[in-house]
Amino acid sequence: MTTAVATIDHHHDPTTTTGIPNKKLLMWAFLASDCMFFGCLISTHLIYRLHPPPGTPPAREVFSIELTSFSTFILLMSSLMMALAVNAIQKGNLKSLRWSLLTTIFFGCIFLGCQVFEFTNFVHEKHLTITNSILGTTFFTLTGTHGLHVLIGVIWLTGMLIYSFTGRLQEKDAIDVEMMGLYWHFVDIVWIVIFTAVYLLEYI
Amino acid sequence: MSAPATAAAQLPHAPEKSKFGLFVQIAMVLAVITGLELVTVYLPFAAWLLFTILVVLSAVKFLFVIFVFMHLKWDKIFCTILFFIGLTLAGGTMWALLKLFGAEASRPVTTMAEPPAAAVLVA
Repeated sequence: MTTAVATIDHHHDPTTTTGIPNKKLLMWAFLASDCMFFGCLISTHLIYRLHPPPGTPPAREVFSIELTSFSTFILLMSSLMMALAVNAIQKGNLKSLRWSLLTTIFFGCIFLGCQVFEFTNFVHEKHLTITNSILGTTFFTLTGTHGLHVLIGVIWLTGMLIYSFTGRLQEKDAIDVEMMGLYWHFVDIVWIVIFTAVYLLEYI
Repeated sequence: MSAPATAAAQLPHAPEKSKFGLFVQIAMVLAVITGLELVTVYLPFAAWLLFTILVVLSAVKFLFVIFVFMHLKWDKIFCTILFFIGLTLAGGTMWALLKLFGAEASRPVTTMAEPPAAAVLVA
């Protein structure tokens, strides 16, 4: 007689009305609302680019497309590691989860480091601050808000990594890691839009 | 217990074994698309064509991430609908604002610097 192996369906929850785990539904609702938040910030930046007041510095001379492309690549790779972390916990592989989380945190910190470097360079070398031009105001507000999201993500990831060492994180808790993963990937897709709308479009 | 029952119980895990390779492949595709985007802005094409190419490439990256990395491909359709409601509202708001402020009557009366070509294309 063969014993059936108990498995967990990580994509569906028959105990809820929708068939979707409540935590996941909550996260998707939050991300949908965050779309509107970033949509407004991106719109504001583009509108003021449409009507730049006199004295606005040319964005092409301020931006460093090489650095931003590197940041984009780093964030994409962090998304890969986050996806692998979720995959690992869904298989109950804690060792793999820890390495994936650690790498994601590492990439997240590199991205934040690049952003700090970029902001410092803009303020000190290019003399673009949040108060001295509309470009500075909308740019720093938009990318700063995104950077804050990344920072929150890094803190969340670090907390989860520490929690994984307590022995209380198991395969059945995969939804918690998946929720965190959804947030991290969302930060990535927002950057995909910002990279094109704010940076690349200035070069055509 | 019969063998088919055991196989059925293990079914949810079966497709996840191949996800590692899929995730790595998608990440490589995303990296290549980012490289293409970077090259595109230096091509000597018309601004509208470059704009279209960049928007399409970004949309492809966006969709790959939400459907594969964020598991929408495997989740219930309601998650996709919920997210796209937010996305549609955000996109609609952006479109409306850009049309509104892109209109000739919305131009500020004060002298302006020349707007970048891309900003005019977006509006």
